[in-house]
Amino acid sequence: MDLAAPHLGFVLAAYGLSLLVLGGLVLWLRHRSRTLAQAVQQLEAEGAPRRRAIAGAP
Amino acid sequence: MQQFANPRRFLKLIDAVEPWAWAFTVILLAVGLYLSLVVAPQDYQQGETVRIMFVHVPAAWMALLAYLDMALASAVAIIFRHPLADIAAKAAAPIGACFTFLALATGSLWGKPMWGTWWVWDARLTSMFVLFLLYLGYIAIWHAIDDPGRAARIAAIVALVGCINLPIIKFSVDWWNTLHQPASVFRIGGPTLHPAILAPLLVMGAAYLALFVTLHLTAIRAEIMARRLRQMELARADEV
Repeated sequence: MDLAAPHLGFVLAAYGLSLLVLGGLVLWLRHRSRTLAQAVQQLEAEGAPRRRAIAGAP
Repeated sequence: MQQFANPRRFLKLIDAVEPWAWAFTVILLAVGLYLSLVVAPQDYQQGETVRIMFVHVPAAWMALLAYLDMALASAVAIIFRHPLADIAAKAAAPIGACFTFLALATGSLWGKPMWGTWWVWDARLTSMFVLFLLYLGYIAIWHAIDDPGRAARIAAIVALVGCINLPIIKFSVDWWNTLHQPASVFRIGGPTLHPAILAPLLVMGAAYLALFVTLHLTAIRAEIMARRLRQMELARADEV
């Protein structure tokens, strides 16, 4: 890549933006997945039932 | 497919596949970026700006693929009532929206030096913008409706109706006179690109595809957990 080429700022901006958006998406999804899994584990450890009782069921 | 209808079984599959999927994605991205930024030559007309194509075009492909995935999953949810189908559809939406945003933004960053403008209301650009709005609308429906069953049905109908935009995007450059160049990879008669440009583009396309699949698996896992958490909280509230 020629670092003295014209319009190089546009190329760097496109790659930087892609890195920012996709990196942010990866971090958000992994964080969300981990946080929710921990919350489920915590409720299971506290003995919370998995499902709502069906009304009228014995 | 029915054997994975059980979310617990599907989670086990995700746990087994996800680390390999991430490793594969990272390797493909590293190779793709090396080819795009180091190996690929300058274009004789576009100069270094051609390198924007290696992130712009795959993002546009994934924007369409994610929507197709979302619409197919929505159809399966409506027709077969597969328990994971609406989860898969919902999980694909934010990923597709991000890829669509990137396709629009990187296209704009290419358009300014090459066309002399950031944006034109050209058929291809406008139909891609409509795709972005469809993603946002789909996500908004899930957030606006409390009952997940009702939200899933309405969102699935919106996703299926929005499918009409996919052939419009694909063929807009053939049906109308547009500033956007015609198809140069997926076309009858084969690609028109020089192999030196085509190879990095295809590797980056494969890397973005791997990234989409991996992110989708992670998002599905998060959505299954979110639903399980909601069920447990409701069950606990019933007990109190």
